[in-house]
Amino acid sequence: MKQLVSLNINADVTELAIEPGATLLQVLRDELGLVGPKRGCDTGGCGCCTVLIDGFSRYSCMTYAQSVQGHAITTVEGLALGGTVDAVQQAFVDEGAVQCGYCSCGFIMAAEDLLAHNDNPSEAEIRQAIAGNLCRCTGYQKIVKAIGAAAGR
Amino acid sequence: MSEAAYIGTNVRNVDALDKVMGGRGYPVNVTLPGMLHGKLLRSDYAHARVLSIDTTEAEKLLGVKVILTPDDVPKKKFNPIYFMPVQGHGANHDMEILSDVVRYAGQPVAAVAATSADVAAQALELIDVEYEELPALFSPAEAMSEGAPALHDYTQNNIAKHPFVETGDVDAALAEADRVFENSYQTQRVHTCYMEPRLVVVDADATGNLTVYSSNQHLFGLREKLAFVLDIPESKVRVVKPPYMGGGFGGKLDLGYIEPLAALMSLRTGKPVRFEHSRVEEFITGARNPVGMELKTGMKRDGTIIARCCKSTFDAGAYATHGSTVIMVHGLFGFMYTYNCPNRRWEGVSVHTNNMISGGYRGYGAPQAAFAVESQLDEICEEMGLDPLEIRIRNTHKEGEPHPLLDQTFTTYRLEECIRQGAERIGWSRRTRPNSDSGTLQRGLGMSCVPTWISNCYGQPDLYEHSGALVKLNPDGSADIATACMDIGSGQNTVFCQMVAEELGIPFGQVRMSNVDTGNVPFDAPTHASRGTNAAGAAIRQAAENARLKMFEVAATMLEANPRDLESRDGKVFVKGSVDAAVSIRDVAFRADSPLVQDTPQGPQRNSTPFRGTIIGVSSMNPKISPVPCGAMFVEVEVDIETGQVRVEHVVYAHDIGRVIYPQGAEGQVEGAVQQGIGYALMEHVQFDPDTGACLTGDFLEYKMPTAVEMPGRIESIFIESNDEHGPFGAKSLAECCLIVPAPAIANAIYNATGVRVRELPITPEKILAGLGRL
Repeated sequence: MKQLVSLNINADVTELAIEPGATLLQVLRDELGLVGPKRGCDTGGCGCCTVLIDGFSRYSCMTYAQSVQGHAITTVEGLALGGTVDAVQQAFVDEGAVQCGYCSCGFIMAAEDLLAHNDNPSEAEIRQAIAGNLCRCTGYQKIVKAIGAAAGR
Repeated sequence: MSEAAYIGTNVRNVDALDKVMGGRGYPVNVTLPGMLHGKLLRSDYAHARVLSIDTTEAEKLLGVKVILTPDDVPKKKFNPIYFMPVQGHGANHDMEILSDVVRYAGQPVAAVAATSADVAAQALELIDVEYEELPALFSPAEAMSEGAPALHDYTQNNIAKHPFVETGDVDAALAEADRVFENSYQTQRVHTCYMEPRLVVVDADATGNLTVYSSNQHLFGLREKLAFVLDIPESKVRVVKPPYMGGGFGGKLDLGYIEPLAALMSLRTGKPVRFEHSRVEEFITGARNPVGMELKTGMKRDGTIIARCCKSTFDAGAYATHGSTVIMVHGLFGFMYTYNCPNRRWEGVSVHTNNMISGGYRGYGAPQAAFAVESQLDEICEEMGLDPLEIRIRNTHKEGEPHPLLDQTFTTYRLEECIRQGAERIGWSRRTRPNSDSGTLQRGLGMSCVPTWISNCYGQPDLYEHSGALVKLNPDGSADIATACMDIGSGQNTVFCQMVAEELGIPFGQVRMSNVDTGNVPFDAPTHASRGTNAAGAAIRQAAENARLKMFEVAATMLEANPRDLESRDGKVFVKGSVDAAVSIRDVAFRADSPLVQDTPQGPQRNSTPFRGTIIGVSSMNPKISPVPCGAMFVEVEVDIETGQVRVEHVVYAHDIGRVIYPQGAEGQVEGAVQQGIGYALMEHVQFDPDTGACLTGDFLEYKMPTAVEMPGRIESIFIESNDEHGPFGAKSLAECCLIVPAPAIANAIYNATGVRVRELPITPEKILAGLGRL
């Protein structure tokens, strides 16, 4: 039996009916067409689905949509409202941190969390902050560099 | 060369902005009205006969639209690899869409499509399958043993393929050798771990035409194989190229079960049908084959290799798939034709087991061979007191020499420079004897080479290698590129835009990739075999050159000049040396494409130019040769001899690339390969329950690959630019080479740190501690 929920996503409140067991990832992608969060494993292992809940990075595949009512949810689409990318997104483009790019939005959200809580992270802190996200293309080097560059902006 | 406007400059990846804003272009996002969702029912048994399947209860579930069992599908046997035509020799045809006999745990036995993925998953629970369990064989040794049951009817002793190659006189040379070294090496099964799962959406129209959306490395291969399996003309299948996709690494080079099943279900229901693999399904679909290698090398005292022989035993898994081609690349390019040794012998045995099917993975058999060859060279140096750099330089090929296998020469070849520059950068002169550090942390340096490789499949029998493209000028002075070559994350979209911008003299930002499908572009071989930039790029450049010649023809009438005297740059065409009297490419394109002449003082006038039509260039071509890339990797490790933990601290990779087109992209190839290489060397391993054959490493919590924390802080790329005249703008190839070398370089560095030689991948802390006598 579907249930009505009210979700605050990218500063916009949306009401919709969902299955009680629906994950936030399912709702974002399949119900709302927000495809920035990606499904890479559905078991909390890859980080492609990372979003911000009240400013902290979370795996949306491991989060029940119902459980985040009343919280502020941000997807990568919420960073570039108005079409202008933010410092982290721009740094990913400039540093060549995007190859296949399937993991990129997840890394960007993890970086947003880090930089919101630490404006001058060390390389070790950057690496630790993205340790919950996997990338098979880049070897992380340009991702780490991009996050460092975004911190300096 | 030095005047290039876009080649070798750090342009931005053309898709990056779109990707960081959400990336709507991935095939995973394709959704169509009324689309059904499919799921596969997979066998729990590794080897069994399906006696009956009862779908009665599942059919009753609300939302279930179609269920397919082995009785409902074509029985045509096939080999799924995309880059060999279905008529090609050498690939075993032993798979079926759904079979009555399952040969590995996880093989599909039925498929359901329903209104949602959840309903389809519930329906799977309601299907009742009766199996007769058969004895399962989980190792090549078991499978080849006397009296083992035959897994397929076409094999003897379950051997899928048994190639043998010999040149020179190996036995005489071994008898002449001052020293003979004989060692065994074993590699493990690892998965490509692309981040976007395999998925497909098939939409059948009322007349049976199929439109296919998928995350794959070869549009035309998918079209051909799908048509073959369904026994329909290729013209009935249209495969749509996504703008980009979430990685491949060789793992999306073959037809899966889901494509033909989605097609059959769409034909039955008249609705689009979508399948997406779960991650555990990925882990049992395609992997780098485990190989056992017995390697024997005869050496002269001065460090010359005079004889080489190797026997490689492959675990091909339940079906041949890539097993019969990987083994050939492994033997020929991983072993036979690497260093310059006149007497070589190689025997390959590819054996069916009840393990998962094997697949393609970047390097395609060569990383396994390099682990043996490059580890043993280090052992030889240690035993004979030779220098690891000098022994490799002594035994390499030389520029200009004939290629030992291909009908060509080493047109450009700078391995010695790679070795010297890499050694300098890592500080090779600091290298000490094992266990030189005090305390529990031992540091070590190691290196390995990829002495030869091929760019594309040139010279290989029955393999596709041609490419084609179309380049079109628009009336606003921009250009569009149409090609079937997929950017699988490897940067081709950017590289091709650079090439076209360079060739036409158009600003980089005004060149775009077009959305195409198999119906409207020339055939292209897959994005694989390190061929995207070199081979597909050659076709792009050819198409752009043809467009440029047409553009000059039109511009010549406007400039009242000879087309041969023209040059273009920064969006302008002009007589060489007279840039001030230029016409803009926009005006040239507009003039050709419009009945009106733009921008005359009297306003638009009728166009009297002799040529009227779109300025367009096309190509469809086979590469003439395969210029040989080569490279050397150097690594520094730190090993904790209390825990056996290895930390790779610093990696340098020097590569003869011909010419760098897109520097960030080229570096990215190396840096990504180091991640995959460290995983291969130290931690990754697809494992199965020894009793049931069930996959034990079905998610990223069990299957460990390096995160940012496990990676070295410094990965440095050195590109030696030999400017090969046979590559577009001088470019050779790169992508696989940098993944062939990391595992042996790390193994050699671990030896240099600790004195422990591990000949079996992955080199886990347990193996190091056992070698140290501390376990």
